[in-house]
Amino acid sequence: MVQERRILYEHLDVPDINTFDVFRQYDGYKRFEKAIKEYQPDDICDMVTKSGLKGRGGAGFSTGLKWSFVPRDIEPRYLCCNADESEPGTFSNRYVLERNPHLLIEGILICCYAMGISTAYVYIRGEFTLGKRMLDAAIEEAYQQGYLGENIQGSGFDLDIYSHPGAGAYICGEETGLIESLEGKRGQPRVKPPFPAVEGLFHKPTVVQNVETLCNLPFLMGQGVEWYTSIGRTYGDTRFDPPQSDPNTGTKLYCISGDVNEPGVYELDLGLTAEELIEVAGGVKGERVKAVIPGGSSAPILTHYELECRLDFTSLTLWKSMLGSGGIIVMNETRNIVDCLLNIMKFYAHESCGQCTPCRWGTPWVRDIVQRIADGEGRQTTMQRPKFGIAEGGRWGDTGEMEEVYEDLDLLESVANNIANVDTMTWNTICVFGIAVSWPAVSYLRKFRPEFEAAIREGKLVTLPVEEATVPPEENYAYQQRIVPRLFEAPT
Amino acid sequence: MSNQLIQIETPFQFSEENQQEFDRLIQRYPVKEAAMLPTLHLAQKQAGYISPAVMEHVAELLELPVMKVKDVVTFYPMFFEEPVGKYVIRVCYTLPCALRDCKLVLEHIKQKFDIDVASETDLAKGTTPDGKFTLLKSECLASCDVAPVVMVNDDLYKNLTPEKMDEILDGLE
Ligand SMILES: Cc1cc2nc3c(=O)[nH]c(=O)nc-3n(C[C@H](O)[C@H](O)[C@H](O)COP(=O)(O)O)c2cc1C
Ligand code: SF4
Ligand code: FES
Repeated sequence: MVQERRILYEHLDVPDINTFDVFRQYDGYKRFEKAIKEYQPDDICDMVTKSGLKGRGGAGFSTGLKWSFVPRDIEPRYLCCNADESEPGTFSNRYVLERNPHLLIEGILICCYAMGISTAYVYIRGEFTLGKRMLDAAIEEAYQQGYLGENIQGSGFDLDIYSHPGAGAYICGEETGLIESLEGKRGQPRVKPPFPAVEGLFHKPTVVQNVETLCNLPFLMGQGVEWYTSIGRTYGDTRFDPPQSDPNTGTKLYCISGDVNEPGVYELDLGLTAEELIEVAGGVKGERVKAVIPGGSSAPILTHYELECRLDFTSLTLWKSMLGSGGIIVMNETRNIVDCLLNIMKFYAHESCGQCTPCRWGTPWVRDIVQRIADGEGRQTTMQRPKFGIAEGGRWGDTGEMEEVYEDLDLLESVANNIANVDTMTWNTICVFGIAVSWPAVSYLRKFRPEFEAAIREGKLVTLPVEEATVPPEENYAYQQRIVPRLFEAPT
Repeated sequence: MSNQLIQIETPFQFSEENQQEFDRLIQRYPVKEAAMLPTLHLAQKQAGYISPAVMEHVAELLELPVMKVKDVVTFYPMFFEEPVGKYVIRVCYTLPCALRDCKLVLEHIKQKFDIDVASETDLAKGTTPDGKFTLLKSECLASCDVAPVVMVNDDLYKNLTPEKMDEILDGLE
């Protein structure tokens, strides 16, 4: 079985690690001292680029690259630490804030030193009252000990950190929504470009970084690039492996919830498979896995055929899904996928910020269609039409068979795809919330279509056995790519 | 109607302690407007909800039109524009909690107090007549590993069952 490798979470359970003295005993702030004594800011940026660190908040964007976009000649620059953690299924940042806040402060110190930033805001979601209290206490202590404020440890480097509470809006996790919210406005995302790195908070260059991303920095600093890049699984044995040129390095705080025996946060090398992760979390609760959401509720769902995929940023893209925030939700054979989609769509319909028409109107429409299907009032026509699928020669086309036409299912896919088209990956909205809505909607429908059809046909929710409920992957990928990939041929 | 409301309502002022806290907050930002959310949180803690008078006071402090404050208050679910119960119960209702029977907990509370779930536009229907509890559904509270979870004011309760919920609610003054 895969072993946990605790780096960020190593000292999480040490009593009183939230106090300066205890944190100090475990190398606390020593890595920051190393940074200011031994390295120039540019060297640190270089290290981060070489380490291959990818942002852990959702997009998986290279941190080094993001830093390189920040113009160094505009003052002041800001850091916003994204502690809004509201993606359903994600709960790793919370533990850092509540139990080991000094680690985050050290990460922020290293980031700000490297970027020449002297003001950092930590945007904490409003519900994290304990987390905010712990962080505030830790910040206070760091000021007293001379690790924050002016001329830190005699280095000439100044930094102030402030915590800033959110107020319950999911969209404030989006980086430009967060910036608007921090400026005291409605948290409505901005049109990009300009990207925050160039024009962000108070119209100044701003780095937005997730808590977990920042917490990687002290360890990278302390133990070096070589050590860091040695962490991460080797590739070469599942169907879609990322190219060697884009390695996924470091560990990830995988949050696993739903139908597993031991839900929780597991820190593991990036790139283990979904199957392995479920095993680490004590196995599935119930008979078997029906579906897995791999990266918070915005990520396209995976079926039981796809459990051998690697949970890292690049592999999951090849599997047409994403690692997102690393929140893995497991569903067993008793779950109804229509019901699950309804729950998620209620969430999104509630959280749309309302700026863009496709999202403001489309998301509640999607919810209403799913609600109708779940209520047993889904609409079906009496027509039949030619069934498209894997045709002769293994290509996508007319199979020669006929299929029933379910009006509401076509409508559902069409509305969702008009918010953001999952096939062409184009959207008509300001932020990628749109794709976060249509991705689950379309993927649940395509991969578990029999269960949607059954609900309409029978006039009530019907939970089908796993095999019957799931569309075989060949058909699915063929549909998405319009060709049957050779990858599905038996390995020779 | 609303004009009348503003007239009969007593004006709002920060308590001395909160005023000090506000003075500290405002120094953190290069523009005053940025102190909006922390200030509103502070005001809601003192007044219980964001009444028109509170908005006016906050607008004055931040040197903004009242409309801008109202704009923000209406956007964020954590700010209430009507009185709420002494204890605000937020039952998490997103997928991971739903997979772990949060419904039982919610239904139990509804029955126990004979109230409905409050909505953003109608808080009264989810509030007990004695003004002690308000029941709300909440989105994922980032504690799905210990689902189902409920927040009562600032405290999070984990791994709940109807029985445990009873114990917690009965223990509240
Ligand atoms: C709708 C939406 C919600 C998001 N929510 C969060 C969140 O709660 N926490 C977070 O760290 N990033 C969230 N993000 C990602 C941020 O936009 C941003 O990419 C991230 O904070 C960058 O930090 P990183 O590079 O360290 O990951 C969200 C993005 C979108 C589109
Ligand atoms: S896509 Fe939706 S959430 Fe994003 S800016 Fe537009 S309306 Fe707001
Ligand atoms: S779904 Fe309830 S805490 Fe995440």
